[in-house]
Amino acid sequence: MTETMGMIAGVLLLIALLAYTFWPENVFASQREKTRLEYLLERKEQLNENLRDLNFEFKAGKYPEEDFKAQRSQLENETARLMAEIEFLQRA
Amino acid sequence: MAAFGSFALLVALALAAYNLLAGALALRLLATGQPARISPERLADTARRAGIAGFAAITAAAFALAWAAFTNDFSITYILEHSNRALPAAYKFSALWSGQEGSLVLWAWLLGAYGFVLRLTHKTDVRLYAYAGAILAGIQVFFLAVLNFAAPPFALLKGVIPEDGNGLNPLLQYPEMVIHPPILYLGYVGFSVPFAFALGALMMRYPGEKWIKITRAWTMVTWLFLTCGVFLGMHWAYAVLGWGGYWGWDPVENASLMPWLTGTAFLHSVMMQEKKGMMKGWNVGLIFSTFLLTMLGTMLTRGGLVSSVHAFAESSIGNWFMAFMVMVAAVCIFTYILQRDHLRSEQQVESLVSRESSFLFNNLVLLAVCFVIVWGTLYPVLSEYIEGAKVTYDAAWYNRVFVPIGLFLIFLMGVGPLLPWRSTSFRSIRRNFVLPVIALWVAVIGCLLAGVRPWRDGAFDRGYFYALVAFGLAAGVLTAIGSEFWRGARVIARQSGRNYFWATFELIRRNTRRYGGYMVHIGVVIVAIGLAGSTFNRSVEKELALNDKLVIGPYTLQFVGPTQDTNANYDSEYAQLDVYRAGKNQLQMTPGKRVYLVSGQPQTMVAIHAIVAWDLYVVYEGVNPDTGQPIIKAFLNPLVSWIWGGALLMIIGTLVALTPKQWTVNSGQ
Repeated sequence: MTETMGMIAGVLLLIALLAYTFWPENVFASQREKTRLEYLLERKEQLNENLRDLNFEFKAGKYPEEDFKAQRSQLENETARLMAEIEFLQRA
Repeated sequence: MAAFGSFALLVALALAAYNLLAGALALRLLATGQPARISPERLADTARRAGIAGFAAITAAAFALAWAAFTNDFSITYILEHSNRALPAAYKFSALWSGQEGSLVLWAWLLGAYGFVLRLTHKTDVRLYAYAGAILAGIQVFFLAVLNFAAPPFALLKGVIPEDGNGLNPLLQYPEMVIHPPILYLGYVGFSVPFAFALGALMMRYPGEKWIKITRAWTMVTWLFLTCGVFLGMHWAYAVLGWGGYWGWDPVENASLMPWLTGTAFLHSVMMQEKKGMMKGWNVGLIFSTFLLTMLGTMLTRGGLVSSVHAFAESSIGNWFMAFMVMVAAVCIFTYILQRDHLRSEQQVESLVSRESSFLFNNLVLLAVCFVIVWGTLYPVLSEYIEGAKVTYDAAWYNRVFVPIGLFLIFLMGVGPLLPWRSTSFRSIRRNFVLPVIALWVAVIGCLLAGVRPWRDGAFDRGYFYALVAFGLAAGVLTAIGSEFWRGARVIARQSGRNYFWATFELIRRNTRRYGGYMVHIGVVIVAIGLAGSTFNRSVEKELALNDKLVIGPYTLQFVGPTQDTNANYDSEYAQLDVYRAGKNQLQMTPGKRVYLVSGQPQTMVAIHAIVAWDLYVVYEGVNPDTGQPIIKAFLNPLVSWIWGGALLMIIGTLVALTPKQWTVNSGQ
């Protein structure tokens, strides 16, 4: 490829890439902030997963019963607080 | 092609700069709500598209360089210096990253490819991806600026163009070298993505921990590539350099290990943030450090800061890297200080004996190892700067520091999974630790009986002591992890009425992340067993006349004659050795030497016979000029195959962990 051909190919590439970049589009993804409710729902999902893990590990014999009960009640309390706020926000 | 390639690189730089500036401006407008003539969302979309277009431009430049290599265009200095006409096609391709300029093109192209995927999947979380995309564009601007102004790959030769090129470095003319650098770079470059997400999430005060879930696959894939790259590098050093070892604590080897260590720490501690909302500031610090260490690694490999068998270039681009690293560190520290209230932990570590604290210890140990390696690697540079004389730490220094810390890390790997979250009662400890402790002591007693005794001939042998501890810990940790699988499978087998084999498979399928992680841990333990085997390495060197014998371990090697070969790329000579074991002829080994015709450089070709127990590793050291007889050096290296097997299991485990998990509702989990 000669230098001239190389330059022509380069200019064609530039035109194609600029056209792609600045092509007028009316539809593009909106950049909205995440809401508190969405955050709480994510957190609830994580707490449920932690509860499932704890349950399974207890069944597998890793926890004595009193340790399991104490940890489960901590997680359930946390989930209950979260659920209360979720319900409040959903009603609002 | 040189004009086209140079122009494509310039276009790529302009597009990356637009991506950075327009992206940052759009995010600023969105954050402040200031009115503007153009919709900020429209502006952000053009920035994203510029990132995608930039990838196309870098691909065009990389294609131009590959084309020049395959068409033997020696008017381009880079091709002249790293290729020749007789070079096989695969090595012509690998010539693209054998030198500084080419490897920077590879860096930029891989970063572009990661960015391309990121920008295409932006709808997952448009705002967060816009931040990450702009940060990636900032990194890309740096690499493209270096390529355009400091290390241009399409620089033309002045004067007469030679008929043939100088050829590829013989050390790189090995099949593994075709894939090792790109895989290692995929690991290096890949850490830019979690870094960009972490910095972006911090800048925008991202609510919650979902960004960790979004980046988990990116981080794990990157870690996987870096792991593969490190082990491929070890295997290359073992099979090509001909010194009988696989890790020499060379600065460039260290450079690949440093981000691997902090990346490993990040992969663990990020689970604490995801599950418990803890260690947020720590995690951000870890991923910032990991990214900076990948930059340091690239600078060490390509910037000529330290001397190494792997550093194939010496140049002044080290200053560019230094300036960039200072700039990145300043941005990271500034953002961290500005947003530190956003990084407050939601919970604290409740007990020193808990899963949380084991993660914390694991992180501290990994960071301690990393610090030791950074110190040892940079000490020659620092000592030269401060004292005027270059002082280098040898492998013995690294081993003295690294081995005990590494053993402690293995210990933590066994303890961690057995500890429950939050806190642990004495009953729980007794219940979970009995079996691993029994296994540990059985292994220690077994090893002592087999002759692995730290007190030999009345003196303390540190190597044997560490090997004994390593084998004992390995048995304990493997039992601990095994018991995790067994307990989980027992629950599923009980619920489903199926056999244990099916239940184990189901267990892994239901929680791929956890059990894939355990498989990686098993792999690490197997690697550690293999590394401990080096304590028992032995070697014999001998000059052999025809039919002379050399004895090493259970093997007898008999020299049955020399042989020679030639092709367009190199001349080679070999020593043919019949290998006997227990009086039976088992195989023939042909260690050799090549001399590359264009460069005149010699290269050792090692012969390796590997079995589970050991490797028989034979090097042809050349001919004694006085006697005309070949000199053969044979090594018996125990347990080396375990290292490669362990690495394979680490890869499989990571792939399992990357598979989406499937919980089953009726399992009661």
